[in-house]
Amino acid sequence: MADFVERQNLLEDDESSPAERRSASGDDRPMSAICDPSRLPHRAVVLVFMCFLGFGSYFCYDNPAALQTQVIQDLNLNTAKFMQLYAWYSWPNVVLCFFGGFLLDRVFGIRLGTIIFSLFVCVGQVIFAAGAWYDLFWLMELGRFVFGIGGESLAVAQNTYAVNWFKGKELNLVFGLQLSMARLGSTVNMNIMGWVYNKVAVVVGSPGPTTLGASLMIAAVTCLFSLVCALVLGFLDKRAERILHKEEGKTGEVIKLTDVKDFPLTLWLVFIICVGYYVAIFPFIGLGQVFFIEKFNFSPAEARAVNSIVYIISAPASPVLGFVVDKTGRNVVWVMMAVVATLAAHMMLAFTFWNPWIAMSLLGVSYSLLACALWPMVAFMVPEHQLGTAYGFMQSIQNLGLALIAMAAGAILDSRGYLVLEVFFCACICSQYFYLSFLLVF
Amino acid sequence: MAAAVTMRDDRVFVVLLILRLSFCPCLVGGTNEYKRQLTLELNPNSTSVPPGGDLLHVRAVGDNDTLHFLWCSQGAPTLLIVHTNTSNSSVQVNWTQFLSRNVSGGLSVEPQSSIQYSIAVVFSRLLEYDDVNDTAMPDSDFFPPYELQNLNWTRLQLFNAKALLCGETPEFGNGSLCLTLSVFDSDGRAESWPRLLHSANSSQLEVWLHGIMPRSANSRFLLEMQAVGGDFPLSRVDVRQFIDDEFTPSIFKVSQWVSPVKGGSDVSGYVQWKPVAYRQTNPALEDATPCRYSDPQTQDGNATAASSALIQAFFSQHNITGLNVSFGLAGEPFYNSTRFLSWTMLVGVGAPPVDTFSPIVLAIMAVGLGTPMILLLVGGVLVCLHKRRQGSPAIYQPIN
Repeated sequence: MADFVERQNLLEDDESSPAERRSASGDDRPMSAICDPSRLPHRAVVLVFMCFLGFGSYFCYDNPAALQTQVIQDLNLNTAKFMQLYAWYSWPNVVLCFFGGFLLDRVFGIRLGTIIFSLFVCVGQVIFAAGAWYDLFWLMELGRFVFGIGGESLAVAQNTYAVNWFKGKELNLVFGLQLSMARLGSTVNMNIMGWVYNKVAVVVGSPGPTTLGASLMIAAVTCLFSLVCALVLGFLDKRAERILHKEEGKTGEVIKLTDVKDFPLTLWLVFIICVGYYVAIFPFIGLGQVFFIEKFNFSPAEARAVNSIVYIISAPASPVLGFVVDKTGRNVVWVMMAVVATLAAHMMLAFTFWNPWIAMSLLGVSYSLLACALWPMVAFMVPEHQLGTAYGFMQSIQNLGLALIAMAAGAILDSRGYLVLEVFFCACICSQYFYLSFLLVF
Repeated sequence: MAAAVTMRDDRVFVVLLILRLSFCPCLVGGTNEYKRQLTLELNPNSTSVPPGGDLLHVRAVGDNDTLHFLWCSQGAPTLLIVHTNTSNSSVQVNWTQFLSRNVSGGLSVEPQSSIQYSIAVVFSRLLEYDDVNDTAMPDSDFFPPYELQNLNWTRLQLFNAKALLCGETPEFGNGSLCLTLSVFDSDGRAESWPRLLHSANSSQLEVWLHGIMPRSANSRFLLEMQAVGGDFPLSRVDVRQFIDDEFTPSIFKVSQWVSPVKGGSDVSGYVQWKPVAYRQTNPALEDATPCRYSDPQTQDGNATAASSALIQAFFSQHNITGLNVSFGLAGEPFYNSTRFLSWTMLVGVGAPPVDTFSPIVLAIMAVGLGTPMILLLVGGVLVCLHKRRQGSPAIYQPIN
């Protein structure tokens, strides 16, 4: 409570100074609201660009999932190799999560850093599409690797911009909006890439690597769009710095690897819970389309829609659930509920033929709930100067887990089918109870 | 227990194998646990090798019944299963009548009064159509069909309890249509996909289209089968869904062409298959191609009897239904991509086998889902006890 009041005071301080500063600099030309960096309309414009900054990266991240059958058929892959495309996205982030903040603060600066990472995202997606066009799987893996370098760090940059431009109670809303835009990107991807592919196939003449490559190049346009947003944001930020005499934003992260030895046991439990949970969500969505087609007799378009419902639900649910968790506290109980709900959803999908919309909606709600309840727990467990290291570590372990489990999931599916894969995910989630019960006791 | 299983990922599944062998067979399989004694006889009572095709007789003797499996390549390949209620029944073949193919009675099972049920499946035609628009709708653009009775069938090759038969014709190029019959003495599961679960009352037929020259780049195939069901013709196809795709990954359905006993839900004979065909000899998950069937329709008995020597010889009245199984759906690769298709079916008497979970899946479910529940309960109880023991803390401490 105390530091909220403190933040309020700082905010009022900030607001009052621009007018004084402006008159001090002798610039009395009154700027219109939309051009004035200290006023809300301009910041709303900046918010729009900030939200679309991550759109391209989230759109292209799930391209393989949206085009799963086409990728496997056109390039003659098996499911294990297909999941490598997700694994290669995660590998660079095992290491980069630690250094992302450092790079943005000390090496590049937020503006240049954002542009560089956006470039990586763009170039990565283009390499990926080129690999598909020329039917070179190693090139596609390289493309995903480069894409991965840019993708996660771009999220850090996005958060830094948000903290720099919006303070206090606006920040939660901005974070919520950014997350929603990210989810919107994933949803749009799931639902239109199939249509894009079919249209391209008509133009090219037949499905095949060329069609796949062309569709992915079209998807790269969103990354280009994000790059443009990064450039515009850089310009607007520099302009605001000049007008308001502000400092360039910093992530505020200080990564000291030696802090790791001070982490309490409960924090390690939170890390394990984080990994164990997300590996039962993202690889499942990656492989979900064919599951819904085969088991529930959905058409490809329907299957993609139900696959994307997790993201669609988490867009509005995240701010709402965040509010609820903030009000009630007791994060561990909420995490437990999220885990129970996810287990129920996976069991429904595995052991029954009930309409998968129900299970996937439940999965969407529980996924949002966990995100709102788990990540803030870290802030309660470590002092502020170690927070950067803790979050970096958490991201790093999460990416490592995702990379490994993505490959394992593909291999399991190839040899033993969907039921065993679902049972495997259920077992992952069940192991969480074990760790959660320790957390409750401590 | 079934013979050593060869899986593609040996390291992980050595554990599975050990666990399977240590479970008693009664946990696996939803079929009766008959064991039968199998004896194979090629061209029984024949003085010379019959021209035009072979007749294989497999006698599967149980405790007090016998199944006679007759597999014949005279004319269209035909499988006949006769179920008798005595372990002393035998098959009598009058080769002159049998080879003449114009009267019935050339093959009989003695004593005739012991016959409970008979079912026969004839592979009559292989159809090919040009799927120009990739719609997989077999209603037009048919090429002239291959009559399987006109193929040059090789001699039956026997190994273990399997019989291999291949048919060639100049129109196939260097390719052939091969049929492998496997007869079983007990419950078990085949080694290669789709790993159908069989019992001692069933036999398995694998159909391979191997290297056949397609007549267009967009060709797809249909296989026409005709079935005779004794008193109860095979009149309908049931499709059953189940949640376990462990043995046939990504396939959750099984189709059964059954001959229902009048007035009941029992069936006396069946043809069972999973709606999947594979495009490679050692298939991976992405080599699976779905297949569909058409509704069973009554066929002309005389034409069928003329095409198959076994039908003509055994059955006096012909109550025949037939259906097509078509391979491939819209969007799937055409036959030309690999020039190979394999499809497997079971033919048997009684009720079709019901798939069950493997022990390893059951074990994981029990451990994985049960343990945390127990932990949760125990943990909850402990927390409650802990709280109660603390009591309500006094806000004020006594001063002295």
